[in-house]
Amino acid sequence: MAPALLLLLAVFALPMVQYAWLSTQAQTVLTGLEPQPVGLAQWQRLLQDGRFWQDAFQTLRFGLCSVGLELVLGLAVALLLNQPLRGRTLLRTVSLLPWALPTTVMALGWRWIFNDPFGPINLLLAQLGLPTVSFLGDPSITWLSMVWADTWKTTPFVALLLLAGLQTIPADLYEAAALEGANRWQSLRRITLPLLSPYILIAVLFRLAQALGLFDLVQVLTAGGPAGSTESLALYAYINAMRFLDFGYSATLMLAAFLLMLLLSGGAVLLWLLSRPRLAGGQR
Amino acid sequence: MTATSNPNSAHGALKLQQLGRRVGRQQLLDSLSLTVQPGEILALLGPSGCGKSTTLRLLAGLDPASSGQILLGDDDITTTPPADRGVALVFQSYALYPHLSVERNLSLGPELRGTRPELMKEDINRVLDLLQLQDLRHRKPAGLSGGQRQRVALGRALLRRPRLMLLDEPMSNLDAKLREELRAELQHILRSIGAPVIYVTHDQHEAMGLADRIAVLERGQLQQVGSAEELYRRPANSFVAGFLGNPSINLLSLRPGQLIGLRPEQLRLASPGAAPTAMEASLSAQLTTREWLGDRVLLHLSSADGPLKVMRPSSDSLAAGLQPGAQVEVQWSRVDALNFDARSGERIELS
Amino acid sequence: MNRLLLILWSLGPMLWQLYTSFRPNAALTGNPLQGGWTLEHYQSLLEGNPPFWRYLLNSGVVGLSSTLLTLVVAVPCAYGLSRLGRKTARSVNVLVAVAAAFPYVLLFLALLQVARDLHLGNNLLALSLPYTGLSLPLAILLLQASFRDIPPELEEAARLEGLGLWQRLRWVLLPLMAPAIASASLLIFLFCWNEYPIALTWLSRADLLTLAPAMARIAGSSVFTVPYGGFAAATVLGSIPLILLVLLFQRQIVSGLTQGAIKG
Repeated sequence: MAPALLLLLAVFALPMVQYAWLSTQAQTVLTGLEPQPVGLAQWQRLLQDGRFWQDAFQTLRFGLCSVGLELVLGLAVALLLNQPLRGRTLLRTVSLLPWALPTTVMALGWRWIFNDPFGPINLLLAQLGLPTVSFLGDPSITWLSMVWADTWKTTPFVALLLLAGLQTIPADLYEAAALEGANRWQSLRRITLPLLSPYILIAVLFRLAQALGLFDLVQVLTAGGPAGSTESLALYAYINAMRFLDFGYSATLMLAAFLLMLLLSGGAVLLWLLSRPRLAGGQR
Repeated sequence: MTATSNPNSAHGALKLQQLGRRVGRQQLLDSLSLTVQPGEILALLGPSGCGKSTTLRLLAGLDPASSGQILLGDDDITTTPPADRGVALVFQSYALYPHLSVERNLSLGPELRGTRPELMKEDINRVLDLLQLQDLRHRKPAGLSGGQRQRVALGRALLRRPRLMLLDEPMSNLDAKLREELRAELQHILRSIGAPVIYVTHDQHEAMGLADRIAVLERGQLQQVGSAEELYRRPANSFVAGFLGNPSINLLSLRPGQLIGLRPEQLRLASPGAAPTAMEASLSAQLTTREWLGDRVLLHLSSADGPLKVMRPSSDSLAAGLQPGAQVEVQWSRVDALNFDARSGERIELS
Repeated sequence: MNRLLLILWSLGPMLWQLYTSFRPNAALTGNPLQGGWTLEHYQSLLEGNPPFWRYLLNSGVVGLSSTLLTLVVAVPCAYGLSRLGRKTARSVNVLVAVAAAFPYVLLFLALLQVARDLHLGNNLLALSLPYTGLSLPLAILLLQASFRDIPPELEEAARLEGLGLWQRLRWVLLPLMAPAIASASLLIFLFCWNEYPIALTWLSRADLLTLAPAMARIAGSSVFTVPYGGFAAATVLGSIPLILLVLLFQRQIVSGLTQGAIKG
């Protein structure tokens, strides 16, 4: 037991400590790549760094939108898969495929699908006589394309998780509700959602954390472009470390991203706790 | 029945000396002292939570004792690791390895203990024969009935050639009819081991039918040890009197400071006003309800001293004809009445 | 109808890649129904330097070694945790669950430092070390839940029969946990196969690249032309092993995914 827990600490906790220390150091080409203490200068720089704030905003925007979309679609797919349909296993397998592919592989695929004007979507638009869309070249659209690609990949995960939750809800609850004259929408709101809420919370927490660590997709799909409109915090930190060789600031950025994630997760848990009595009340 | 008894190792008696187990503030078992002779079957009887399973786990070495000693033959095994005690335990759930066939369930332990293969084969075949499991040897536990599973669990224990055999409610997962059928067979097999046997149960019929002696436990304390007859005729206290016997004994406070115990089956009925002889006592009561049990009738009566149960043969015309609400005189022989101290519950011998 | 939509949504993008991968580059910018078929994209990938299958092999090696190492480390830990009191285990598990959900990309800089200090870069087996660390949380949660599902009497019975800890694990507990171990292994393998940022920073030699960074390198190689036929062939080849894995082990993957999330 001890070796495993030590390894866990070494991989997860130690880096955070190291970042905390490194964020008080300057370690760049100018310092000969040796750390030099600079106090809180890195943090000051962070607060004044417009690119940081822009990336933070873009990361959050991406995270909230894609997780929200995945929840809605995931619930729809879960409800579909929860019905006794023919070929349910096949359907489950098929819908699982996007999740299993490496992000870099599917990002490269999406680059071609989003191509303007030769991607299939734009070919279709052109065929219909509509103007083509610059999915990857327009700062106001590109981030949405990224949400689309991410939703395609991770909806299966959310759907399977919610499906597992749905399967814990006893069928007689629905039968009882139907006897009392509840329609489908009412039983969804009064039974399914309240009982599913712990699973929704798990899905949201997990997906939000992952979405805030957005890196693979952005790097291969857009490399942060156009005009930095899709750059994420993780990508910015990566660029600082690997391209600018500014390790102190990179560490500061990553710690900031981590804190942001904690804040957001805490917010999600709080929201869930606050919504619980209301949902429970609705059930009575 | 030499399948499992080992002529080379003479079995020794099991002695518990002031054995106790405490977890946190809870005294699960308090200073239990008992001796079980080789070849003797002792039933540990009591309601759930009385400490009987705790005792079993201490004997098996699965939990450590907080005080006292366990002696097996000449050895003090109080702190000996479970595997080195020569103890076999049949679990309530049987704890068969679900992924292994009957035969592998039996052979896994001996094999890993390093028993010589040809010896092991012989042993296993003998146990399979003894327990009539030959046809099932390749089945997995999921494909066996409750009774068959029990036999496999028993077989696994027998293969250990135990110096002490422990059984934890081995019948509780079987239906009532099967239990009765298996009792004699099980007793026969257990006796053949030659080692002390401890049999934990909450079922008094099972204890009475199977064991040589019964130890009644309640709240971690030994109430009484003795043969079924002793426990029935001369219970040490009102708890033992109440726990043994079906339907349970009537306890009435006819005298201040005392409880009189009257077994329903020792009571007789007489018409109102009939006077008891010098050897008898009586009280008047009213019939509330009657349960027809085939050869017997169980009458629920109410008297000035509380409710009362009377068990009569159904040939008793008075009992059979009595209407609810009717008055009747309940009589008993004075020698049959048991007297208990109302406060301590201890039985008092009246001279 | 809904079912058709779901299938189209999931498979459409992949089918388009498959279609593209057999089309000559010249035809990609023309009418999608004309221009004929070609195998040249696959040919050039497989004859490239290093050949494409090399990346798949590398990913396979890292995936297998990491999965094995993770199991070796996680099984004793999960066993220990499952034998702790529920309260203690619960608080440990909350931390483990947090680690499981952690966006590990944030760790790459610190891990890169480790690779530099210990000279672990450009070594496929060494890459298993961070991968093991990153896969441990999920493995621990899954295996622990499975340990807890085994009735304690089974192990007690084995103890009474004289089986030591290792024998009990080997003959009684682990066989019963086969489904959970299969699920955990598959998920770990998938994670390692797909992992990108750590591989990107630990590996630089072209012949050692795993699939994910190789894919990114292919993507970055030509910015101005449209060699999408080649890209598509690469995505198809890179997807095939995983598609096979999902088709074969769908049940185990799904159960691992949901169990891991729910029990954690």
